Amino acid sequence: MTDGPYWNPKTETLSREDLQKLQGIRLSGLVERAWHTSAFHRRLMDEAGVKPADIQGFDDLRRLPFTTRDAWMDCQAEKPPYGDLLAQPRESAIRYHTTSGTSGRTPLRVLDGRADWKWIAECWCYGFHGFGIRPRDRVFFAFSYGTFIGFWGAHYGTEKMGCLVLPSGNMNTTQRVHLIDELQATVVCATPTYALRLAQEGASLGIDLAAGSVERLILSGEPAGSIPATKKMIEKQWGAKAADTAGMTEIGTIMMFECEHQPGGTHIIEDHFIEEVIDPATGEPVEYGERGERVVTSFGRGLIPLIRYRTRDLVIKAPASNCSCGRTWDLYDGGIRGRVDDMLLVRGTNVYPRAVEAIVREYPAVDEFQIHLYTADGIRDEIEVLCEVRQGYEGQWENIARRLCDDLSSNNEGLGFHVELVEAQSLPRFELKAKRVKDDRTVKGDR
Amino acid sequence: MGAARGKDLLGNDLTAEEVRLLAVWEQLKTLLDDDLPPSARAAVEEAVAALWQGVNDLALTDERPPV
Repeated sequence: MTDGPYWNPKTETLSREDLQKLQGIRLSGLVERAWHTSAFHRRLMDEAGVKPADIQGFDDLRRLPFTTRDAWMDCQAEKPPYGDLLAQPRESAIRYHTTSGTSGRTPLRVLDGRADWKWIAECWCYGFHGFGIRPRDRVFFAFSYGTFIGFWGAHYGTEKMGCLVLPSGNMNTTQRVHLIDELQATVVCATPTYALRLAQEGASLGIDLAAGSVERLILSGEPAGSIPATKKMIEKQWGAKAADTAGMTEIGTIMMFECEHQPGGTHIIEDHFIEEVIDPATGEPVEYGERGERVVTSFGRGLIPLIRYRTRDLVIKAPASNCSCGRTWDLYDGGIRGRVDDMLLVRGTNVYPRAVEAIVREYPAVDEFQIHLYTADGIRDEIEVLCEVRQGYEGQWENIARRLCDDLSSNNEGLGFHVELVEAQSLPRFELKAKRVKDDRTVKGDR
Repeated sequence: MGAARGKDLLGNDLTAEEVRLLAVWEQLKTLLDDDLPPSARAAVEEAVAALWQGVNDLALTDERPPV
């Protein structure tokens, strides 16, 4: 049984009816605990006129109020450092973490206890096992091991599975490439951006990673792990299969992963989470195949219960039958498709950075890029894509830039883009979440 | 809301392995009430947190461990 495709065969293949029954039982228990132990949740439920006894099963989910990041931040500001969200005494916590801070907002602070950390690792195990990783693997973590929770849970998950874990928190990119090569890592965990950066470094060091020992990459931290052109580029440069995962500090772990069948989407870990997709404007649920905002309810975290948390992530849910792996867990088609608040309004056109990346990555000539917005003549929004060209493509650049310009324009309602060549190595590189949008406009539209 | 005796949360009969796992879980938890030296106390707390993953994943219980 240990070498089968599922980490937990019992729940990964449950019928939809049984799955919702289990989710309902766990939801009822979660709400009961949260109401009695977390002042934050009791306040929200009281304001909504909901009592734990009202939540008897899955169908009662929508009676519960949404939780938002703003409410979480407000409670931490009012009662620093952790607010009144905690459902267990602070003394039961064994670790402190924060959100990454890449959004520029005040990071959220989170605490977890012993059982929480075992659960955080457990959810990662579903993903690692589901993508074919086994105890024989040597797993390299290109991760800084800081206050951002990132791959911490993945580290413990792979230790639990019995893999050999290769940490690299104290290393620079060059040292990491050397260690991957020297210790013959078979799995590399990194953000999509940093997986490309490592590959660039390998090429400059004369280390052929595509011919090396790495068989699989586990990507996380950015939507790019599910952008086909980006993933294809990563897989080509590493000579390995790449799988997307996604999580968030607010849940402490991943809630979705790509299985070995790679159907173009990521399975939702539905025995530990309820994932809803809603219209961000109305809060009403949307159907399979429609884009909307993820709302997550998490059963596993003890210190921080999370109930109907509006993530601001944009997703499209698809039925489990879209994948041939046998799991009954639904999918997010194309992974995380961006953020509700990522959208840029440029001369009346909605521009999504993820969609721009999907086009730019179709061009292997582009080594790195940045989306730059500025105000021209004091009044007009302009958008340009600054590109570093890969060695060997310099002579074709004019033609490539023209085609890229046309592609960007035709995929964005005819909006005029500029494509500009910049010096090699002049654009920023990232180890964690990339920030490829630089907005220098004097007035930033309706962001 | 917990599982009925001999059943999992979905009402299925427990397998022989699940019965044994649940028995170990119940016994292990009782050690948390004992006055143990720090080394044994920490080991039991770690073990409870770890074993909870097994009984929780298999839908044998809906309780939260007190660690």
